[in-house]
Order: sequence, then C-alpha cells, then structure tokens
Amino acid sequence: MTYVEYKMLNPMQKFAYNFKKFFKNAPGAIGRFFKAVGLAIVHFFVGIGKGFKDFGVTFVKGDWATKLSYVIFGVGDIHKGKYYKGILYFLVEVLYVLFMVFFGGEYIYKLPTLGTATKVVEYDEFGFEKVLDHGDNSMIILLYATLTIVVTIVVFAVYISNIKDAYRHQIMRQNGEKPTSLKVDAKEFLDGKYHITLLSFPILMIGIFNILPLIFMILIAFTNYNGKEHLVMFDWVGMQNFGNLLNVVDSARKANTFFGIAGWTLIWAIAATFSNYILGIIVALMINKKGIKLKSLFRTMFVITIAVPQFVSLLLMSQMLTQDGAFNILLSHFNGGVNPRIDFLAGTPLMARMTVIIVNCWVGVPYTILSMSGILMNIPEDLYESARIDGASPFKTFTKITLPYMIFVTTPQLITQFVGNINNFNVIFLLTGGKPSNPDYHSAGYTDILVTWLYNLSMGEQKDYGLASAIGILVFIICATLSLIVYNNSKSMKDEEAFS
Amino acid sequence: MKKILAILLAGMMTATALAGCGESGGSGTESKADGGSQADNTSKSDGGGATIDPSFPDESLFGDETNITLKVWAPDKAVNLTKEQVKAFQDHYSNTTFASIEVVAQGESDAATMIVNDPEKAADVFGFPSDQLEKLVDADVLSPVTKGFVDTVKANNAEKTVTAVEAEDGSLYAYPETNDNGYYLVFDNTVVTADDAKTLEGVLEACKKAGKQFILDSGNGFYSCVFAFTGGAVIDGFEADGETQKFVEYDETEVVKTLMAFAKLMKDYKGTYTSQDPANISTGFKNGTVAAGVDGSWNSTADKEALGDKFGAAKLPTINVGGTDKQIISMFGYKYIGVNSHTKYQRAAQILAYYLTGLQCQQDRAEKLGWGPSNKAAQEALADDPILTAISEQAENAVPQVKIAGTFWSSMGTLGSELYKDAWNPDDEAATKTLFEKTIANIRDEG
Amino acid sequence: MIKSYKFRRNLANAIIYIILGVMCLIWISPFVYLVLHSLRADGGVLTNNALLPKQLTFQHFIDLFAGSTSSSLNFPKWFMNTFVVACFSCVISTISVLAVSYTFSRLRFGMRKPLMNIAMILGMFPGFMTMIAMYYLLKIMGLTDPTHELFGFVERQLVGLVLCYSCGAGLGFQISKGFFDTVPRALDEAATIDGATKNQIFWKIILPMSKPIVVYTVLTSFIGPWTDFILAKIIMGDTHENYTVAIGLQLMIDPDHKTQYFQQFMAGSVVVAVPITLLFLKMQKYYVGGVTAGGVKG
Repeated sequence: MTYVEYKMLNPMQKFAYNFKKFFKNAPGAIGRFFKAVGLAIVHFFVGIGKGFKDFGVTFVKGDWATKLSYVIFGVGDIHKGKYYKGILYFLVEVLYVLFMVFFGGEYIYKLPTLGTATKVVEYDEFGFEKVLDHGDNSMIILLYATLTIVVTIVVFAVYISNIKDAYRHQIMRQNGEKPTSLKVDAKEFLDGKYHITLLSFPILMIGIFNILPLIFMILIAFTNYNGKEHLVMFDWVGMQNFGNLLNVVDSARKANTFFGIAGWTLIWAIAATFSNYILGIIVALMINKKGIKLKSLFRTMFVITIAVPQFVSLLLMSQMLTQDGAFNILLSHFNGGVNPRIDFLAGTPLMARMTVIIVNCWVGVPYTILSMSGILMNIPEDLYESARIDGASPFKTFTKITLPYMIFVTTPQLITQFVGNINNFNVIFLLTGGKPSNPDYHSAGYTDILVTWLYNLSMGEQKDYGLASAIGILVFIICATLSLIVYNNSKSMKDEEAFS
Repeated sequence: MKKILAILLAGMMTATALAGCGESGGSGTESKADGGSQADNTSKSDGGGATIDPSFPDESLFGDETNITLKVWAPDKAVNLTKEQVKAFQDHYSNTTFASIEVVAQGESDAATMIVNDPEKAADVFGFPSDQLEKLVDADVLSPVTKGFVDTVKANNAEKTVTAVEAEDGSLYAYPETNDNGYYLVFDNTVVTADDAKTLEGVLEACKKAGKQFILDSGNGFYSCVFAFTGGAVIDGFEADGETQKFVEYDETEVVKTLMAFAKLMKDYKGTYTSQDPANISTGFKNGTVAAGVDGSWNSTADKEALGDKFGAAKLPTINVGGTDKQIISMFGYKYIGVNSHTKYQRAAQILAYYLTGLQCQQDRAEKLGWGPSNKAAQEALADDPILTAISEQAENAVPQVKIAGTFWSSMGTLGSELYKDAWNPDDEAATKTLFEKTIANIRDEG
Repeated sequence: MIKSYKFRRNLANAIIYIILGVMCLIWISPFVYLVLHSLRADGGVLTNNALLPKQLTFQHFIDLFAGSTSSSLNFPKWFMNTFVVACFSCVISTISVLAVSYTFSRLRFGMRKPLMNIAMILGMFPGFMTMIAMYYLLKIMGLTDPTHELFGFVERQLVGLVLCYSCGAGLGFQISKGFFDTVPRALDEAATIDGATKNQIFWKIILPMSKPIVVYTVLTSFIGPWTDFILAKIIMGDTHENYTVAIGLQLMIDPDHKTQYFQQFMAGSVVVAVPITLLFLKMQKYYVGGVTAGGVKG
C-alpha cells in the first residue's frame, strides 16, 4: 500500500490497517530486537577498541600537561587556564584515592573469596567473652565491593573525560582560543546541556538505590547465600542456582516447581490483564454512554477501591473469603441457613486460582475504568457518525470501531499491565499466600507466582537468597525482552517525533 | 584478682541455692545439694559472701564497664513486666553503673532474623524461641553464657531446656527462660468433659453434638507436624552435613496408618474439625461457635478471658489408630534469652541476661504472664496451675523444637492441608504413602 | 418509529443503570463491611460472625488514638510519620519524574534512546533481594540509626525511607512523557526564537500547562508510603515509633497482637483509607486527565 492509498482510507480503515500491520510485524520485530541487541554488543566492543586507540594517540600527541593528566587528574585543564574544572577533576582523584584506601580497597581485595576471617574472641578469668574481631560477613563484602566497583567505573569515566578535556584545551590553545569561563559553562547547563542538569539528580538516585542493589542481587545469584549454614559466610558457586532451576533431570523437584510456577504465572498474567481490560472497557462504556446520568457518582464508587491501600482491602477480602467469612455467611442465606463452607482461597487449586483472578478484577478494574473513560472520550465522533449512517448495530460499532481503537492505542499500556501482573505480588501474597499448597513443589503452592515464590524463598524460613536471585534474574529476562520488543515497535514509540 | 572472683562466684552460687530453698519450700533440697557441690568444686574457699543477693551478681563483676547503655528485646506482652524487672536490676547497682537500659517490644519469632540482618543495631539482650537457635549459631551472633554462670544455670533449670542449648564442649549458647513454648488442648468444659478430652474422637464427638467447632491449624507446620510425629516420624536434629533434617527410624506403614486415621477424623467430623488460625479460638469461645482447640500458651490469657469459669485445659488427646489409642506427639520449644556478641557491654549484658532468667524473674513472669518457667524451683511452685500442668504433661510427649531445617515448616504445613482438603480420600493408602514420602523428600531437600 | 427507538434506548439505559448499580454495590460493599466492623462492639477476630454487627461503638477508634496499653503501638505517631514521609517523597518524586520526562520528551542527545530503554526495564526486577542492599546503603549513609536525630529533630530513618520511596521515581516517566509529547512543539520553537533557554521553556511554558500530570504524579507518589509494608519494616526494624501506618497495622495482626488488636486494626484501616479516598475524589478529574493524556497519545 502506498502512502497515497493509505491517506485515502477512511479513519476506520486506517486503524484496521495499522492494527493488522502491528501484529503482522511482530515476528519481524522480535528478530530485529535480537539483531539490535547483537549490534549493540558489537558496537560496544568496537567502541572500547576505539577508546583504547584514542587513549594512546592522545598520549603521543599531548604536551607535558596533557601527559601528566594521565596520572594526575585535571593538570591539563589547570595548565590551560580552565581552573575550576581542573580543580574538580583533581578533587575527584583525591577523593577516590581516599575512598579506596579507607573503604573500597579492603572489599575489592576480599571479593574473590568473599571473606575468610572467622570470629576471634578471648575470655577473661570469670569467663566473660570479649570479641576482638567479628570476622567477615560475605554479604557486606559483596555489597561494598559492588559499590566500590561502581564508584571505580564512574571515576574511570571521569578520568577519560579529564584526558579528553585536557587534549581539547591543548588543541584550543594551539588554535589560539581561550577556555570558556565558569559563567558561560553554567549558562550552557541551562540550555544546550540542560539534559545533564535535569537528569543528574534522578540518575544519581537511581544509580545508588536501584542499579547498585540490582548488580548486587545479580551477583548473589552466583553464590550459595542461603540459610543452610551460609548466612554469614558464603562462596561463589557459579551457575549452580540456575542449574537447580532449569535442570529437570538432576534437580527435578526445583525445576518442576520453577516450570510449573512459571506456567501459572503466564496464565495468571494473561487472565488478569485481559479480564481487567475487558471488564474495565465494558464498565467505562456503560458509564460514558450518552444519556447515563450520575457519571461522576459511578466513577467515584469505583475509585474508592484505588484509594484504599491494597494491604487493607486484600486482607479484608481474604478474611471475607474464609470458610466462616462473610461470603459463606451470605451464601448460607441462599442455602437454607446452612453454611456451605466453601474454601475459596485454599480449597481446590482451580477454585483458588479462579478466586484470585476474580478478586484481582475487583482490585484492578477501577484503574482500567479511569484510564479508559478518558480514551473513550477521545475517539473521533465522526467514526461513530459514519457507522450510524451505514446502519451498523451498536454491537457492531463496538467490535469494529471502539474495541480496535482501544486495543490499538493502549497496546503499550497493556504490556505494562501484563508485566505488572507477572510481578503482581500483593494480590497473591495478601490473598492466598500461595495456598493451596502443593506437595510436589519446593516451598510453593498452586497460586504462587514467581515473585511470591521468590519472596518465600528469600524472606521465609529458608533464606535461600541465591536461588531467589536466580529466579529474579529469569523473571527479569522474560519481562525485559517482552517489553523492549513491544515498546520499540509500538506506534507511540515510532510516532514519537510526530510533534517535532 | 582471680581469687577474689573465685570467692565471689562461690558465694553467689551458694546464695542462689539457699535462696532457691528459702523461697519455695519443698524444692530446696535438690538445688541445695547441686549448688553446694558445685561451689565446692569451683573453689576451695568457704562461701563467705553468702549475703549477696542471688539474683544480683556482685557489682565488681561489671569490671571496668560504667555508664552502661543496653537494649533489651521482649515480646510486646512482656514489655511492661520486663521494664519493672530491669528497673529493679538497675536500681540495685550504683548510679554510675548504668546510663540507661531500654526495653523494646520485638516479636520473638522475628528476633533472630533481625539480629542476623544487622547485629549492630539489634538488642544486646533478647528473647528467642529454641528453633531460632541454629540460625543464630550459624550467624555467629550469640555470646555464649559466661563460664562463671554455666554451672549455676545448668543446675537451676530443667534438663531438657539446658541440653537443647548446650554446645558440644559443654558451654551454653543462651540462658533458658521458659519451658512452655508449645500448644495444648483448650476447651469449653460445659461442652467437652475432662473425660472427652482424653481422646480426639471424644473431643470431636462432644463438639459435634453441641454443634460447635474444634480448631487445629492444620495448614501450619508448627501444628500439623503432630500428624507425622504421632505416627512415629520424629525429627532428630541434623545429618552430619549440618543442614539436612534427620529423622529417627520410623515404620512407614505405621506413619501412613496414623495419617489415615487423622484424615478419617477430619472427614467424619467435617464442619466440626476446622483448620483455622489459632487466633480464632478465643474469638470463637466468645461467640460460642468453638468448643475446643489446640492453642499455644501465648494465647492462654485470651482463652481464659473468653471462657471464664468454663475454661478447661489438658494435654493433647490420644487418637485411635488401628484399635490402639496413641498419644498425639507435638512440637515443643523453649524460650531463651541470648546475648548479642556485638554488644559493647559484654559483662553487663551477660549479667542482665542471667538476672532476667533467674528464679525471681521467672516466677514473676509465670504469675503475671502465665509463662511456664524453666527454673526447677519455680516449676514446682506452680505445680497446680491447670495450663502449666497441661503444658508440662504435653512436654513429656513432645519433640524439642531445635535444629529444624528451613524447609520443615512449609512441607509439614502442606502435609496437613492435603489431608484436610475436601478432595482427600482418607482410605487411600497409596496416596497417603506418596504424600508422606513427598513431604519427607521436601523437608530433606532431596531431588 | 421514533417512539420505539426512544423506548429501546430507555430500556437499554435502565438495564445499564441496574448493572452499574449492582457492580457499584459489589465494589463498595467490602468497604461498608470494613467500616461497620470497625465499629463492632463485640470484640475479637473477624470470623464466625453475622454479616452485620449487632452493636456499634466508637471505642476502637478512641483506643487507637488515645494510646493503647501496648508500648509498641502508637497509631497517631505512625500516621504523622507516614504523612511526613509521603509529603517529602512526593515532592522529590514529582521533581524527578517531571525532570526526566521533560528531558526525554523535549531534549535530544546521544544517550537518549539507550537511557530510555534502560529506565524502562530497570523497574522489572522483583525488588525483595535489593531491599537488604538498600538497607546497608542507608546504613553507611548513617540513615538507619534511630538514636541520634539529624540536626536534633529529623529522624534519620524517616529520611532514609523518603530516599527509598523517591529514588526510583524517575523510572516512572512514561505517562508524564506521553503528556509532554502532546504539548505542541511549536510553543517551544516560538519561545526559542524569542531567546528563551531550555530552562526557561521548562519552567515558564511547559510546567504551567501540565497541571493534570503534576497532580497525577503527586497523587501516585503520595500514596506509595501508605501502602508499602515490606521495605519500611526492614529499615525501621524494632524502632516502633518510626513505623509507618502500613507496617504498624501489619504489626497489629501478627500472631502476638492479633487476638487483642484486631478491631483496632480495622479501625486503623478505616482511618488510613478515608483521607486517601477523599484526596482521590477531590483530584479525580486531574488524575483522569493525566492518565489519559499521558498513557494514550496515539
């Protein structure tokens, strides 16, 4: 279809066309994603190679101050008159050296073994213990070593920028240019380099509290950090934790648990996402239908569910769904006064799974209603107009116009929700806690999804942090791949520059 | 210096023994003999310092520690009492010894996790249940009982509570505090007679007749382990690797039969036998919907309050397996007070822990909180308390709650909830056998 | 013909009213139940009970605020803590989110696409393992010590909690970036021609137009601290007076407290739910505006 042909379609056909195109292109998109990942890796290494080359070339061409910048940060800049920057560079080096001497060095040194020293004590005459040395704690060593490595990488980046800057100023001097003043630079940070100003604080926060713990957690997956005698001192064990999860022959119970739970997690995520979505759309349609009054009252009723903290509403639900809870009492009125004692949450696996999906609707539908209400108002009125003129029934209007439009514009949102449901800890944990339990599983039940299993393993009695981290990494890989593919191929991503 | 200490120590021990017989009439003989002989072993000198208060070791033991600040963890219900006890302790010594002793509420089951997570911020002296011991020892955060106190502590406390914290070299990891961390049968005596309470069948029948419920939290490993235990599959510490749960030799067919007997009762008394949170027992008593339940000693105050005069307590009943009545075997733990090895004031922390587990403090707790003491003298003084009697009788038929693998609780819980679920067929021997074998494999983390 | 059309429409509307009414009933009744049972006079855990309480009392609410017999429960203090933490973390979060989303929406630079991708996937890691790491990071910053307040009056642990809640806010830029994308670029270009810097454009042009998304961001980040019951527990440990309502209420129903404090838990839940609900209702218009404009430009 050419561009002209496309332009001549009516809006409805355009949507249909785009909608079809999106799903037709999905396999290609997945292929492109992996190709892009491969390319990125190649680029990365080529970049490193180029970096090394530049590093050497600059050294050869540099004057004495630039050469000295290879050892002492900022000398080049100071020599060329860019004092404030040179001093900042130098300060970074000084701080880094102090950091390494007083903090980081020790942990890096211990990183390969994760600590060997045990507690040293002595006793006095009466037998009072005096602890001379508490010994090593592998977890602390690993965490602080990770911190040190991250700091080192950042300082290395500063180091490279220091060399480049020194060389740049050398060239500028050769060309007879003066270095810019602090005032000019500061102004630049409010305009041309405004992104650095805006992003530095969030990136700093994310770096410290998200990325660093994340690296730490990834590393934990390669250790035997668990409650079985390895709470304080643990060792590197390579891929053992992943082996336990994936090897269905040698580690059948854990592997079966993993695949079993992963399967249910996917079913759960699909069911939870689409049930919320469809029900939400239907209710939103009803509320927004022309001629329906009390719109804001209806919306308000649903919004209250969002406003009440989930641990309250879900705990309340779990109380109401027990064998003697409100639901069974309610049912007993229809059962001739006899309590049917249906165990919604820990009865049969099917019952429990249905219950969590239904309760999840109760929790999630209001969100969908809220966001859908807005979208519905945005559907171009002329679409309905032309449909009505063509004599389409309301049902047909819905399936041919409203639904495609909704699905199309909300695909990114749908994926976010899908990933959110894969990680939907609250609903499962607070409602069933994974029950009913499954004797074939390793510390898990029928309604456990991967995150709640991970939680049980790490926060429960077992404290099997190694295995839990490995599960976390696998969950992460699934979610990240999925959403990168969808996002980078969705319309909103491609049309991002529409307004520029 | 050494000699002075020896004298002090001897004096203190003698005093403890004397106080023991002074305060609780008949119990004195045994502890006196013990204390006396130990004093003789420890020191050749005469116990000259007999006037020293037994609960309060001499001030000189604090050594160079002055201006001490300590933090104590106690469960919420015990905080006020512990505060009083600590204040008495603080007042006993000179003004300069203590700057402050803080008592902070902290649930005992979480204590070990919190100490392992960050020992430096945790309490210096803290209470914990016996199943957490292994974790604390692994994490190396416990300071063992000071050698000077070991013999007294061993002599004064019930043997089981001592052996459970004893290290291989004879030292103690912590101070025994209670001997009651278990559960027993609590019932409404207008519905369930003392005779009914002897057998599980009797209890259930009585409840069924009255149209009321019996509660046993069958999905919780702490309670549901009775099913396997009663059948003979009893845990016995760890294997040589120090992490795999060991079981005593058991007859599998017998275990399966017992499990089937339990499942049969659950089925036959469906609606009467219910698996619920034990917190519902006292509420149920209040509302009149529950007539009996298996509840822990920590809820006894609430249960008593709910039932008033109708309150009845007994050891767990028997169950009929293939014609013979089998006593239900339960899990039974102790509570200890431990000293955090990261404490800045080792001496003060040890002395305080020693004091808090001494006779007087244990008696106070027994009176005001209903905690069963581990101290022998205190135990005998309380011999006629119905709850403590029930608990101590059950303790004879219980497995100590020590050295338990992390996989134990959830696996036992699964066993219980499988037997309890509607779809379970109590007559299916093969299925019961498979279920039991899976449970054991899960606990031992095999395959 | 016209009449029958009207009739059919009215019938359809009537059916919709009935369906909506029933659904509202389903959605709202658990909360009615919660409120009624928080007022229930006969104490104890919520089971074996009739649907409606027989007698009502305000006693549980009074107990909740008048201070309880237990030294570890202090609901008024928890409420204040949560309020303060929520206020600060929502300010920091909002600033982060707006900065990040404006940058990705309006500014063009080399690392833009990779950074956006990284930001998107970072939030997908299940966070429980990272919590213990966060705790120790706060510890080396000195933010876990309950005994020495910062400047004499600021609880360090609360500062730590604010940091934890607001640190990852920048990752949630999607919706607000979507909103900024809908603001016409022509505005920026006109301002640039007039000599405005990017900084001025952000503050003077974009922000004043972004009320819905600001409200949306403020609202979502304000609610976070009221609902988290895992991370806060790890940071606070045994310092009960620094608890937030979520972990405080959680404490009330642990095995040690449940039999005694269950009713107060219900009352506390109501007390927490009411202000957030009111806030939500008041801000609903903006919330819908923000989520719609941001989530859906298509």
